[in-house]
Amino acid sequence: MAVRFLTGAAARAPVPVFPVVGGGARDGVEELRLCPGIDVVASPRAATVLLVAGWLPAALRPAAAQVHDQLPHPRATVCWARGDLAAAAETFPAATVVPPDGDVVAVLKRVHRGLVTGERDSEASLLPHEPPSPWKGVGPHGQGGEGMMGGRPYGRPMPMTGPDRDGLALDRLPLRVGPFFPALPAGLVLDVVLQGDVVQEASIAANAFADAAAAAERAAVAPGFGDDPFRRALREPVGVPLLELARAGHHLRWAAATLRLHGLRAAALRTLSLAVGLTSDALPRLAALRRRLERDPTLRWATRGVGRVSAAQLPAGLGGPVARAAGVVRDARLDDPAYADLGFRPVTHDGADAWARFRQRLGEAEQSLRLAQAAQSGAPASVARDRVESPQGELSTASAPSGLLLGLVGDLLAGMEWGDAVATIASLDFDLEAQPAAQVGVTLR
Amino acid sequence: MFAALGTVLAVVLAAVAALLALRWLGSVTDPQQVPPPEAVPVLGGHPPPTHAWSRFHLRYYPMTLVFIAFEMEMMFMYPWAVVYVQEGMKALVEMGMFLGILSLGVLYAWREGALRWQ
Repeated sequence: MAVRFLTGAAARAPVPVFPVVGGGARDGVEELRLCPGIDVVASPRAATVLLVAGWLPAALRPAAAQVHDQLPHPRATVCWARGDLAAAAETFPAATVVPPDGDVVAVLKRVHRGLVTGERDSEASLLPHEPPSPWKGVGPHGQGGEGMMGGRPYGRPMPMTGPDRDGLALDRLPLRVGPFFPALPAGLVLDVVLQGDVVQEASIAANAFADAAAAAERAAVAPGFGDDPFRRALREPVGVPLLELARAGHHLRWAAATLRLHGLRAAALRTLSLAVGLTSDALPRLAALRRRLERDPTLRWATRGVGRVSAAQLPAGLGGPVARAAGVVRDARLDDPAYADLGFRPVTHDGADAWARFRQRLGEAEQSLRLAQAAQSGAPASVARDRVESPQGELSTASAPSGLLLGLVGDLLAGMEWGDAVATIASLDFDLEAQPAAQVGVTLR
Repeated sequence: MFAALGTVLAVVLAAVAALLALRWLGSVTDPQQVPPPEAVPVLGGHPPPTHAWSRFHLRYYPMTLVFIAFEMEMMFMYPWAVVYVQEGMKALVEMGMFLGILSLGVLYAWREGALRWQ
């Protein structure tokens, strides 16, 4: 009886969900955080349900399978699929598939309840049950592996030493973090060499969303890609209110993710609930929120002086909030007559660090709501242009700002502590999906 | 004689029983029974290429040593507090000299940068 009561209570608890965020699913997964019965957790070890959302390129599926196997039993998978349901079913054969417009919250709750009450079996591992590096019975006495320092105890090599910043020779720990590491943008694979918590070297591995194979795959399975207002504005005239509301919404969602990364969960939820269904009437609430966040001592202390990208360091041709937070007045909207009629002048800051970029984006979000309000009365429409100011910077058919930003990462992160490195990457606001395939070879190291 | 032998035999039997029990406990709780794909540390989709047994620079180490050294000196204040009322002014001056010399040590550690967070 007591067990039945406990089972019932566990089945009614919020569903711990770990999201694997694929293409076109970022906003949908963010909005799940506002649902009361869902707890979006930061590690697969804390989850019972793996939510595979959006479109996964073939190159990311083995990593998704690895994340699946890291969930403790009992576990289940829900594919909130977009486009290619067959590929999802192939990678996750036991998954429950929800169409993009389906009620994913209800499905997550049902699957969780089934797992807890025992009506549904826990899913088996997807990867083979073989140690990646065999060690049992190896060595002169069968003790496992060979040697200690520099050898392969338990079949795995030891880290080798190298000079650290304090003049000591200490171990260098190479790690490949991502593509589904919750503190990094979805799809980003970061190769780092750590000594303690200090990043010695960093580079970004190939972007699986942007290579030629992925582009062809996306055209086949997710034809809706590119329907965001900024991409549409490259092809056809889009109204200023629509563009500016989308920009403000993007900046607020980014701010919510940044606040969550710094452990400010309540502020993150408030910001996110403002971003969802944003209208220009929300201006007073946004202004109040911005005042409160800019006074927040925790965030200022954690981000001031972190990840400084001065105007001289900026890659040629990079605009957007990162450049404007370094005091560079560069904005594609300045050439747009629709914005000239509204008296548009870009917001800038001069700290050039993560804190300046946070204030820059909040300032731009507020400015965007003002522009949306002003444009509603006169209703001017932006014409189709070859360059559009997206929330990350200048967008054209051939290049996206994320491509230029990715090239900065290696030099920027070297010498930082890991927490600062993560905060810096978050402050640059990468959108890996938006990077065109043509740009990949140029910017990735 | 036989009683002693019986004791030895009992000890040996108990040891063997304990050994078997521990081996059984070890096989039941063996972490290697977790299948390899589930035992991988969470890095977001890739296994780590090396062991994580790495030696790194513990930067607060000098600060810890200085803290322990000066905290131990406070032990001398307990017996001093017991005799302080009897001894009066003499004890006060002696403790003042002792703490004065100690604070010179703190100033020296400060000057050498031992209290700086790197």
